[in-house]
Amino acid sequence: MTTMTMMMKQSSNIVADVDVHDKLKSACRFLSQYAAVLLGCGATCIRIEKNVGRMAQAFDCDVEITLLPSHAMVVLWDKEHEHSYNCFSKSVGAIDFYRNIELSKLSWQVAEGKLSLEQAKECFDNILDRPRINKWVVLLLASVANASFCRLFGGDFSAVGIVFCATLLGFLIKQVLLEDGIDVRITTMASAFIASIVGASGNLFDLSSTPELALGTSVLFLIPGIPYINAGSDMIAGHYLCSVSRFIQAVILTVCLSLGLCGGMFLMQIKFF
Amino acid sequence: MGLLFEIFQDMLFAAIAAIGFASISNTPFHVIKYCALLGAVGHGLRFVLMNCAGWHIIVSATLAALVIGSLSVLYAPKAKCPPETFSFPSLLPMIPGMYAYRTVQGLVMCLSSQDESVFNHYFYLMSYNGITCFIIVAGMVVGVTLPIFIFKRISFSATREILKGSYND
Repeated sequence: MTTMTMMMKQSSNIVADVDVHDKLKSACRFLSQYAAVLLGCGATCIRIEKNVGRMAQAFDCDVEITLLPSHAMVVLWDKEHEHSYNCFSKSVGAIDFYRNIELSKLSWQVAEGKLSLEQAKECFDNILDRPRINKWVVLLLASVANASFCRLFGGDFSAVGIVFCATLLGFLIKQVLLEDGIDVRITTMASAFIASIVGASGNLFDLSSTPELALGTSVLFLIPGIPYINAGSDMIAGHYLCSVSRFIQAVILTVCLSLGLCGGMFLMQIKFF
Repeated sequence: MGLLFEIFQDMLFAAIAAIGFASISNTPFHVIKYCALLGAVGHGLRFVLMNCAGWHIIVSATLAALVIGSLSVLYAPKAKCPPETFSFPSLLPMIPGMYAYRTVQGLVMCLSSQDESVFNHYFYLMSYNGITCFIIVAGMVVGVTLPIFIFKRISFSATREILKGSYND
């Protein structure tokens, strides 16, 4: 009889352990994917930590999160620290502030108990499925923005027009190559090359009184400004690994941009000073 | 009158630039208006400090970034989005692109020059522009980020749907 009771107790313990494990597994996989998407969309490390932390608290778990240059690792513990589950996810996607905003909102909804884990997963998938701003609208706005940039540096209206055309073509090349899955570094180089060739038209055809500004500004839409700022923010927050990796990534893109620009200038035989 | 027009023009083009750069980062349309506002205020302030007060570009850019960062924290609960989602695009029009461009130019000319004095001249140009560009960007990053860390509670609770009187981390 005693043996029977012990066996029943053991089996109920095993069932409870399996339940806890399943719960941890499900929550950990969600949090890991969530952190990886936030990392990819350009959120700062401190925000990722806070968002994940408040959701883990709502799931009645303790969490440890490690952010690596292109991965997020989440270790989830039950409150008694008897069971844990860990999960690695690779960061995905390009810089996307819509995702950053909506995923931050989602974390609060979970933290306040408005969404269960299953509902949160559904909401998460909906946010990921949402398409980006129409690419033609972005193309136009980016071209106008870079043209305005030229004006801010003191370029005349001819230079502004040249920069608009250079950006339009350069950004279009960037969009097409990225859609085809070409490496972002090669894309940046090609885009800068094309934009600088168009930007050099001010020098070649004597179209502008500020041709140097037209040429210099024509490639500035490719400067990875957000990764540079994120690197600084992560450094202040003490996330040195992510900070350095983001900085190096931004420097590499800037070097690619410079190579494309130099290539265009050599081809057009532009004097540098 | 001429100066006021110049300030207005500077703010207008900075706002347009901020909108464009925000759209590249897929910032939602209801947030883009804050990018435009902050971009215009920040760039306008830098223009005034540099051209009216005669301040150096490094100090002016850092102070303007600090104002952008502070305003973004102020508007974040109203916009219901993290402050960095509109302060970072607003900062991009202040990126010292021409300094970066001249640094690259200097580097290329260093490599292609044979004479020592010519090399030294281009090395000086490269170093001056590179150092200035680096310090401007560093100052801007610190300026825009500091308010987010100083007002942590507001910054990290901005996306909360219902604010119950007090902010929690």
